Amino acid sequence: MSKKIAALLLKLLLAAAGFFAVTFTVYFFNLDMKLTSKIEPFLLRHYDKMERNTSL
Amino acid sequence: MIRQENWKRQGDQQLGVLFDDGKVRRRREWRGVKDTLYDYGRWLGIMKILATFIAKPRNVKAMFRYRWMANYLAVPHMVDKFTMGLRDEALRIVHTSMDFVVYDVAKTMDNVFRGDRKTGNDKAFSDKCVLTDENAMTAFMMGFPTLKAILREVPTMFVANLLTQYSTTHYLDVAQQFGIPGDVCPMPEAEAGISIEDDFPVLGACAVQVNTTCDGSLMGNGIIAKRLEREYGIPTFQLVAPMRHREADVQDYAAGDIKQAIAFIEEHTDEKWDWKNYFECAKRVNEATRTRLAWLDINATDYPQFVGAPFSLYNDTNYMGNCGRSPDFPLVDAKILKYAETGCTEKRMMAPEYRHRAIIWGVQPQYCIDMLNWMVHCWGIVPLTDMLSLVNTKMIAEEDTPENREQAYYDMAWLNENMIMRNRTHGGYRVLVDELWEFCEQLHADMVIMWEHMSCKALDGMHGQFEEQAREKGIHLVWVCHDLCDPRVYTRQAIRDQLNVYMRTVLREEPLDPSIEFLPDENAW
Repeated sequence: MSKKIAALLLKLLLAAAGFFAVTFTVYFFNLDMKLTSKIEPFLLRHYDKMERNTSL
Repeated sequence: MIRQENWKRQGDQQLGVLFDDGKVRRRREWRGVKDTLYDYGRWLGIMKILATFIAKPRNVKAMFRYRWMANYLAVPHMVDKFTMGLRDEALRIVHTSMDFVVYDVAKTMDNVFRGDRKTGNDKAFSDKCVLTDENAMTAFMMGFPTLKAILREVPTMFVANLLTQYSTTHYLDVAQQFGIPGDVCPMPEAEAGISIEDDFPVLGACAVQVNTTCDGSLMGNGIIAKRLEREYGIPTFQLVAPMRHREADVQDYAAGDIKQAIAFIEEHTDEKWDWKNYFECAKRVNEATRTRLAWLDINATDYPQFVGAPFSLYNDTNYMGNCGRSPDFPLVDAKILKYAETGCTEKRMMAPEYRHRAIIWGVQPQYCIDMLNWMVHCWGIVPLTDMLSLVNTKMIAEEDTPENREQAYYDMAWLNENMIMRNRTHGGYRVLVDELWEFCEQLHADMVIMWEHMSCKALDGMHGQFEEQAREKGIHLVWVCHDLCDPRVYTRQAIRDQLNVYMRTVLREEPLDPSIEFLPDENAW
């Protein structure tokens, strides 16, 4: 039983460490913003193509 | 001048290392282990807010429907701008205030899209919403606990321009294609452009517009109201605050107009004014006023803590957009105050020396508002507070009595007249010029950074008086020209250069951090 708990704790610890390693890398190297800055031009092109009810 | 000889910033010393010519920063800041982990934890929190928001299908639909939504890709970038160079309590204060603003705006947008006819289209919810002018104190909503005050210009225009500097330019072009001149204030002009291009969410049982800002705002409101009423059938009330708001003889009229606005909302929503809720909100308004004064007291010491754009933006959100209606704000206020008190007691500084203590006057450039944080790190100038944060200091009636129910209309009118900015740009010479020098004395300021919004007519006539009186009082008056939310007219560096030139040529000073005197951020978000 204690071995099972220890194995579970180890898995949780590894998962937490993996989560931290990935997210901290994204955070520190600003990868989130570098990615979204690449998405923006596609969105702008999409908005340009939309039909709009333009009126004063 | 205040200087700490052994002061050393943990982590990155030269902040210019974070910048290249790109849209976003090269990397995030190294603040030492403790503060980097704190900042990382806060970043995770913002990611959670964004993930919760975008998980809803109607919000995804909105992302593809509204052009201004693209700016929200830059939310973490905006927070990074306000936390640049900060450590310890100052970092925690900015995160506590600005992260809550992010949460509040996300909640507002979620409500907007829930009721919006083009996305969520929840009609029952929409019927319980009142569209409220972004330039309105939401005091007249304090007695309607079951209704939502929706300030739709806040996410579409105001916040969008904090996020990315070019957020308004498309809408300005649209407005100008329809013959609106290019020299009006770009804020209402961009809002008019959003309306012309049908890019505003449409919801609400009715709308309330105000005259609280300026002629440009009235022009924009006219265009927006026309579309709201004639095309979408949303009746719109014009709440008209008197210009000379310090005069006793205008208060009866102002209170009467508040009564009419409340009656208008009751008529269109089938809801009744709730006095119990009003006075609960009034207590929170007073609590917020007391806390704001406590922050300013701390800023009057040698060790100011809650300063710059986050002070202003948090105050805008709390004082005007919230106006006592949410029980969440007092908790955040108290947390910020605690950090500020600790920081002051511990004599925490944001830079190795504070050479000048500045009051920021006039209307800020929205796309370069983080310049206030830059000033601390580049030149050792502490922005103690700003014109938009120096608002009502009077306590309003908070006990539910028959006399106070009548007084409440006057209090709501007073708050509406003292909306941020207009309480200084309207109301005569005393509120704009004389009181500035009184604030300089109270906060021991030796410098005034005078934003000169080149498309704003409100402050232009006073230029000479400001210069003459600042010279008499021995206060450094630095004029910094900008165009509010159009960076094509004045780039961010062109704005910062005006201060750089003053510091080098008039004061003969050298920057504390030369790596950020010139920043390659013309193409940045």
